[in-house]
Amino acid sequence: MSWWKSLLPKRASDTQMNSELRFHIDELTDENIAVGMSPEEARRRAILEFGGQEKFKEEVRDVYRVRILDASVANLKSAFRFIRKSPTFSITVILTLALAIGANSAVFSAINAILLKPLPFPDADQLMRVDQYNPKNPRPFHLVAPVRLEDWNRLNSTFAALTGYYAEDISESTGALPEKVTRAWVSPRFFQVWAVTPALGREFTPDEETLNGPAAVLISDRFWRRRFNADPNIVGKNLRLDGHLTPIVGVMPPSFLFPNREADLWCPIPAGLFHGQARENDWFTIIGRLKPGVTVAQARANLATVQAQLGRQFPKTDADLSVGIEPLKETTIADSRRSLWLLFGSVTLLLFIACTNIVALLLSRSAQRQHEISVRFSLGAPRGALIAQLLTETFLLALVGSGLGLFLAAAASDIFRSLAAQLPRVEEIHLDARIVLYSLACSVVVTLLSGLVPAVRGTHRSLSASLAQSSRSQVSGRNPFQWLLVGIQVALAVTLLAGAGLLLRSFQQLGRVTRGFDSSHILAFQLSMNYGETGDMKKLRQFTDRVLETLRATPGVESAAISVGAPGVPFKYETELKLLEGRSESEPKLIAENRLVSASYFATMRIPLLAGEVCRETDGPPTVVVNRGFADAYFPGEPVIGHHVQSINMGYSGAAEIVGVSGDARESGLDLAPVPTAYWCAPFAEPGTYFLVRTHNAPMTMAETIRRQLHEIEPLRSAYDFAPLEQHFSDALSENRLRTVLLTFFAATALSLACIGLYGTLSYNVNIRRREVGLRLALGALRGQIVKQFLWQGLAVCILGCIAGFALAAASSRVLAGLLYGISPSDLPTLSVVILLVLVVAAAASLIPAIRASRVDPVQVLRDE
Amino acid sequence: MPIEKSDLLQGTLDMLILKIVALGSVHGYGISLRIRQISKEVLQVQQGSLYPALHRLEKRGWLEAEWGASDKGRQAKFYKLSAKGRKQLESEESNWNRLASAVANILQTAQ
Repeated sequence: MSWWKSLLPKRASDTQMNSELRFHIDELTDENIAVGMSPEEARRRAILEFGGQEKFKEEVRDVYRVRILDASVANLKSAFRFIRKSPTFSITVILTLALAIGANSAVFSAINAILLKPLPFPDADQLMRVDQYNPKNPRPFHLVAPVRLEDWNRLNSTFAALTGYYAEDISESTGALPEKVTRAWVSPRFFQVWAVTPALGREFTPDEETLNGPAAVLISDRFWRRRFNADPNIVGKNLRLDGHLTPIVGVMPPSFLFPNREADLWCPIPAGLFHGQARENDWFTIIGRLKPGVTVAQARANLATVQAQLGRQFPKTDADLSVGIEPLKETTIADSRRSLWLLFGSVTLLLFIACTNIVALLLSRSAQRQHEISVRFSLGAPRGALIAQLLTETFLLALVGSGLGLFLAAAASDIFRSLAAQLPRVEEIHLDARIVLYSLACSVVVTLLSGLVPAVRGTHRSLSASLAQSSRSQVSGRNPFQWLLVGIQVALAVTLLAGAGLLLRSFQQLGRVTRGFDSSHILAFQLSMNYGETGDMKKLRQFTDRVLETLRATPGVESAAISVGAPGVPFKYETELKLLEGRSESEPKLIAENRLVSASYFATMRIPLLAGEVCRETDGPPTVVVNRGFADAYFPGEPVIGHHVQSINMGYSGAAEIVGVSGDARESGLDLAPVPTAYWCAPFAEPGTYFLVRTHNAPMTMAETIRRQLHEIEPLRSAYDFAPLEQHFSDALSENRLRTVLLTFFAATALSLACIGLYGTLSYNVNIRRREVGLRLALGALRGQIVKQFLWQGLAVCILGCIAGFALAAASSRVLAGLLYGISPSDLPTLSVVILLVLVVAAAASLIPAIRASRVDPVQVLRDE
Repeated sequence: MPIEKSDLLQGTLDMLILKIVALGSVHGYGISLRIRQISKEVLQVQQGSLYPALHRLEKRGWLEAEWGASDKGRQAKFYKLSAKGRKQLESEESNWNRLASAVANILQTAQ
């Protein structure tokens, strides 16, 4: 009849337990009756002898209860005690983890903000960047003519709406001094695409979006706070934008940073502007919002059809064009994705190194605690409970470490902003619940990674039993597992150092390139202008001449020039040029980077003229200077001077004679080799033009003088963005610098951790072998031999680690390819230096314990025996 | 002089139980009888305290339990030693002997 009970889970139900205890009491009662007691007395005595039934029942129930909470509390208490008892150990672990988890969370917070989170607009995944490009042009020009945007809007069926914008820096002059503001001209359907409404005030009315309608401006939250102190009654007040009174109709919400965080104002751009009608005038950047449920592929197919239709309708301008559609998030993130994942990868390696380090620390720690552990075993503690307790200790340390690490993560946005202000979405990096959760997850992973092995090994029964008996007898000095850990740390550190070394070398190479121009003593700045001014070229010319003459007349200024795009700072204006003399189909098309410069540009930037003459600033037909790369690529072995070229995209430039050949200069970025370039003599400043001034002394010392001089002749314009040209290079390389600086920091930390690991393991080893060393010294061993032996023990592991790290670095070199300049990812000198560095540092870390070993006093050791 | 419960190390009680159960299938009451007989009333544990220990050993897999009828026909829970319990008993016995002889040694030398 009892067979079915065995089917029940092995859990004492209360009825079973009751009947078991009742049986005992019944038997006791019988026993008592047998010695002559009355049944009542016998029962009373039996119950007494048995003891407190309820208490025992509770104890039995406890046996089966999974007492997670109670056990955890007890474990936590003992973990706190453990941390208090060994502060040095605990602080080492906590700081290591604070650094490793903190750095990891910091990089993750950047990845989260920049790569993972959607853009801060409603249904941001529907937002697309739409470009036109000519597939025959290797480096396409992405802007779109406003009239084509209207066609796309009319003909497509996949976008809810498409809108275009154009941004320029202008002057706002209602204050005491004119202030530079960044204005984005936005085409109709702007609000429909962004699905953002003003936080204050209203959107533009259809009236304001028509030609010659009333003026209106929306201002950014930042501008509203900075300039108007967040005045709630701002709507209806006027701004004077380049002299035009424009009423403020609303304030956009703070999250609306579009087209970039510099944007201050948005003005409606009416369809039908004079320079919006020509199909060649490409100057809009296009953003579209997909209809719900439409995929990117569908949109691409749809707009391709639309553009093909336009190509048939306008063969001259539209036949060659294709439409490119990319999610706006992708184009916003651009190239920062690789840098960020690279950083995340390296910071994760760093975390692994930290874990490995802690494994080693915990292992030597549990060797010291073997006595405590074996006592607890003999008191009947199950192994699981001991492992749980050891893991709780590690977890507590990891938790405290990750808590401290959050401070580091909280500083992440400042760190990223100061290292790489140009990083997209950098202002969105901040500490949020996701980062806290991530840190917490890190500490759990760290606990398992670094706590499990030591806990399992430390509670190994046979080990702890034998050690408890023989704490004074010999312990094997060979603990291969700990040396393996040291080797792993060294290998990972070498990998990180190799990456950092390559990035550093690449940065150094960038500083060494032949730029082709002399950027020292150049002060660059801009003047607020608007595109409307390009309507009157004569007035523009007068303005430009007046400014340049004033600059040249300023004491301390050697020369002054203008250029659209500052030399050496990423700026692309690549178009196809048409040769008026004709060119056969078989010859390569003339694709050239264009620079609109004043004639003084070459002297100011010290770009040598190799042949011919500098372009002429005349009112006659324009002239062009090409660089040597242009001449060599398109006119090899024949004179280039005297030919006439016309830019296909720059509709207003007309045919120009090539009058000179200049040296090659890295115009569009220090990291880009010079490409064929055409310098157009255009003594007209336009929005985006840089004024370049060569000064006798440090450039910035002239900034204030120049600003004052300019205010006298151009009181309504603001001069801004004053900086030495070299500063612009540094800004342009900020993402490069970010990854270089951070990776170097991570690698240095990794190396120090690996050295601490090596030092700790070797010291521990020396400690447990003290007696052996003492004996050998007593038997006549030389101290030099002892040093050599321990030094070699440490170095041998490091050499193996270096070999493994070298292989790892070589295997992961692909990660770096494309991020390096002027250096191959498997650059042998760099890797050799890294390995040499590691070995030297490792030797230093090994030397201290090795020397300590040799100083063991044999008499002392023998006496201790 | 009877040994108080608090002095009786938990591990010692466990070992005694294992030792008794090793002799054959037995219920809790039987175990308490044997402890009283073997130790000649020196070890006075409250009889009920046996049960938490029994259940603990059962949960660890050292004991196996089965319900059956006692001599007098009452339903009782019988315990017997598992293979794992037998190994445990062996190691505890040798530990105990080592400890006991070590203690005895110390006491002798101290005299």
